[in-house]
Amino acid sequence: MPAAHLVLLFWIAVAPALARADLVLVAHPGSGIERLTRDEVINIYLGRYRLLDSGLNAEPLDHPADAEARYRFYRSLVNKSPAEINAYWARLIFSGKTRPPRVVGSVERMLELVAASPGVLAYVDRSQADARVKIVFDVSD
Amino acid sequence: MKNKWAALLLAGMLAGSVAAETGTTESPFSLRGFGTLGLARSSSHHAEFVRDLSQPAGIRGGQWSGRIDSILGVQANWQATPEIELVGQVVSRLRYDRSHDPEVMWAFVKWEPDPRVALRVGRIGADFMMLADSRLVGYSYLPVRPPPDFFGPLFFSHFDGADATGALPLGPGVLRGKVFGGRTQEKSAGDLGVWDTSGSPVGGVVIDYVQGAWQFRFNAARIEFATDMNVDFLRQPLAAAGCHDAARSLGTAGATARFLALGAVYDAGPFQAQVMLNRIHNGSASFQDSHAGYLLVGYRLQRLTPFLGVSRWKTLGADGWPGIADPVLHDAYRRFTAGSKVDRATYSLGLRYDVGRNLAAKLQWDAVRATRDTVFSVRNPSAAWDGRTEVLSLAIDFIF
Repeated sequence: MPAAHLVLLFWIAVAPALARADLVLVAHPGSGIERLTRDEVINIYLGRYRLLDSGLNAEPLDHPADAEARYRFYRSLVNKSPAEINAYWARLIFSGKTRPPRVVGSVERMLELVAASPGVLAYVDRSQADARVKIVFDVSD
Repeated sequence: MKNKWAALLLAGMLAGSVAAETGTTESPFSLRGFGTLGLARSSSHHAEFVRDLSQPAGIRGGQWSGRIDSILGVQANWQATPEIELVGQVVSRLRYDRSHDPEVMWAFVKWEPDPRVALRVGRIGADFMMLADSRLVGYSYLPVRPPPDFFGPLFFSHFDGADATGALPLGPGVLRGKVFGGRTQEKSAGDLGVWDTSGSPVGGVVIDYVQGAWQFRFNAARIEFATDMNVDFLRQPLAAAGCHDAARSLGTAGATARFLALGAVYDAGPFQAQVMLNRIHNGSASFQDSHAGYLLVGYRLQRLTPFLGVSRWKTLGADGWPGIADPVLHDAYRRFTAGSKVDRATYSLGLRYDVGRNLAAKLQWDAVRATRDTVFSVRNPSAAWDGRTEVLSLAIDFIF
């Protein structure tokens, strides 16, 4: 089979899965959060306001700077490139104003942290959101 | 001086290595840094272009120089408890005494009992920019330098004291208010030599409303100068001639300067725009009152962000004093107070290129158009200064 056909076959098989791999924001099932609005998620992830309606402190988690999920998350949320988000946090970090979301290196560790603490939030692919966590925002909405 | 730069650079590189190690962990300690390698040339041979009025000397005569924009800073953060954070920041840049000696810019303890309230005590940044407390982190903004027509006279970058911030949701956005107070610890340099303003009480309020792509700001601040500038060469003959009111009018000790500003930012996807307007009332005839404003617009195209800006700075003061009968003294008084007159506009065109993560390159062209008698906003003007110069700037901004 020619190489071009193999590539085509790969995309026919994989593309639908990639298309389905949309991002969701997850929280602890006992967090008291039913749904978050886009404005609330922006306020939490950009460090503007991190108090949840339930009275809990929101503790957002981020993927590493070069992660594809991080690129898609900020593109979808505020249409910003990684460089722009970097510049945004440089302004705030070097002002001592607020902290960026904590960076966690693996999705499994993220899910563990969310499942262990009611205020922790993380964005993961929908297929990765298991029974330990609850979906509170659909990033693609 | 070179040794100090080398030491600071080494500290920065070490900080970078530590930050790289801690960046993906959950460590409560971080060491980060920022810097700008900036080269600029100003076409005029007759006055020196400066970034702000804290700088004792600038650039002139078409010579490339790294003097006005090169900066290196290192910052340590320690999250001692979930509510308490300690922050220290040291910066090397051109100072009032022409040195680049490292300067402690921030050194504070922050207590944040919940996300609505934060209290900081120690050495804190003066909050004049809409987007940040620091005007020195070039990587964080579009142009090579914050517009000098607006930020030039605001040479205070920190104070020793405290601030308290409160935030609450209002509609879909967030309303933030901050009150601050303390004493300055800074010096500036001008034609009259070094002016040490240390110990001057400063205070103010900042109100921001942030919603989606919009940010609106109101800022009011005041400073009561604790010290006099070196103006005795004029005050003494005025007093000897019985012109006590005129002599007193030149004093800065006890004079209160008031700053009012309004601003808005629109930052949606690839498009960003910001506008600010200010009014400064100086309580001394040595400095004319002024108003200023700027507009900056940029549009991102992949890694490139072209931008353009326009800024304006104009003083409003009177040049004379009606009570001085002696024409020689009156002329000396008029000439001295006219020395703080400014009537200047700057038109800017530039390009930011995000080279990679944490690294940006910038190219900027500024056309400064001022009246011939605008000498306050430049350094060492000669009689041939016509108020016009073109400034070309290249900068590499980085954080680590």
